[in-house]
Amino acid sequence: MKRNDSQLTLFTFALCFSIVAPTSASEAAKGKKTTQLELKNSAYATPWERYKGWPETLWSEFSTLTKMVPSPIGKPIKIEGAIEGDPKKGEKLAFDRARGGSCLACHVMGKPTPSLPGNVGFDLSTHAIWGRSDEYIFNYIFDPRNTNPNSVMPPWGAHKLFSVEEIKDMVAFLKTQNSPAEFRDDLENPTTRPVPKEERDNLDPFVNEAMAAMEKGKVLYARAGPRKQSCASCHAEPERMFKNWAAAMPKYEPRLRKVIGVEEFVTRHARATTGDEFLLQSDQNIALSIYMRYLANGQPINVDTQSKAHKLAIQRGTKLLNTKIGQMNLACVDCHTAERGGSKWIRGQWLGEFRGQQGHFPTWRTSRTEIWDINKRFQWCNVSVRANELQPGSAEYGDLELTLSALNKGIKISVPGIRH
Amino acid sequence: MADEMKMRATMLGEVADVKVRMTHFMETGARKDPKTGKLIPPHFIDQVVATLNGKTVLDAQMGIAVARNPFIGFRVKGAKPGDKIVVNAVDNLGTKFSGEVTVAAR
Repeated sequence: MKRNDSQLTLFTFALCFSIVAPTSASEAAKGKKTTQLELKNSAYATPWERYKGWPETLWSEFSTLTKMVPSPIGKPIKIEGAIEGDPKKGEKLAFDRARGGSCLACHVMGKPTPSLPGNVGFDLSTHAIWGRSDEYIFNYIFDPRNTNPNSVMPPWGAHKLFSVEEIKDMVAFLKTQNSPAEFRDDLENPTTRPVPKEERDNLDPFVNEAMAAMEKGKVLYARAGPRKQSCASCHAEPERMFKNWAAAMPKYEPRLRKVIGVEEFVTRHARATTGDEFLLQSDQNIALSIYMRYLANGQPINVDTQSKAHKLAIQRGTKLLNTKIGQMNLACVDCHTAERGGSKWIRGQWLGEFRGQQGHFPTWRTSRTEIWDINKRFQWCNVSVRANELQPGSAEYGDLELTLSALNKGIKISVPGIRH
Repeated sequence: MADEMKMRATMLGEVADVKVRMTHFMETGARKDPKTGKLIPPHFIDQVVATLNGKTVLDAQMGIAVARNPFIGFRVKGAKPGDKIVVNAVDNLGTKFSGEVTVAAR
């Protein structure tokens, strides 16, 4: 009985091989194996519109990952003597989440100590006794790059997040900060707050709603498209054939002259083969992408970092990681490397580092009840620092995805993930 | 879809903890199709009945207020490992679907 089974498997395998063989025969003659991809049309819905429910503001006067807008360092403003500001107004501004995310996002501030301050920046609760001049404090808030070129603090004044008068009020408030902050408990204190750990079983369909999308992807895989062919027509036994495939994605695609991930590959390959239209960010694309990556679960991320094209892409990606963008003037490294904001708290949210952030995408976000692929994650990062996002599947995101994957090399894939 | 219903039942002390996940659109009838501007007709699960070895233990009337892909959790007293729990659901268009599970020991 067992023998019969294995014979059957062998037979199916041989059969599927013979189907694949004729297409690759002519290419094999050229010594090259090319995958069928549709190359002309856009992989995402055009014109691209920002997702519903996201901030609607456009920050076109500031840099994005594709377009550099010079951000001149604000000239120091000369201030004679003491600043006359309203500390009450300043306190309101410093604690206001609607404007810059509030000073508390990064700084502990003094009495009364509002809930869950962050610790990316210094504890400011005793700032008044540091002996800084008003002029110094004002200009540090206005544009910290004057004093400290390595500061990750946004140039609040120079990038017009706050007016000169408002910053003067903040200085007046800082001058009232003269006794150490008191915390109600260990959770309130960012230095003792326990690091969040994701312990939910992301592969349990009763825990992770994205598992339903995985099942949907499985169905799509076997369903015949407009050309009466399904993925399974050419790739029988997906569990075996795609055991390692997603672990080596994204890859540089010379015909598109950019790095593409599983998502865009699905879009373009389906167009060229089954005739299906699985636009990026559509439910179907996400479902199939999850399924393809699910098949590689347990495999360590193993992207190519040695070929010339990939070395260049990682170089570009590394540069992008260090590029300051948006009204907040932040680069990826500012929040996600331990030397700067990484492994610290931004208000009540933990800033993770690059390693560990790739193997679980596409991931179910419980706080938003939707599945995010890596492209949507990048887009949200852009919008959070108040920079216009790029379209999904843009070359810059491809470079970033490859660079991140290279930094996550060896970490096992576990898709769909689950995160807050 | 292939599996409309996924079920799990495990003993939790003296009671069985049952979880049911259904795949359903749960269209309220109040939502418009963004392309055509027309209302999408209602399509939702009306009734869910759960039985333990053939005896009804839950009879739920659901409506449009329940989210898409409903997830139902309930606990059954008197269930033992090996008992069979069957869930039958009907939607407003009369489509029936069901799932069954054997209660597992913890």
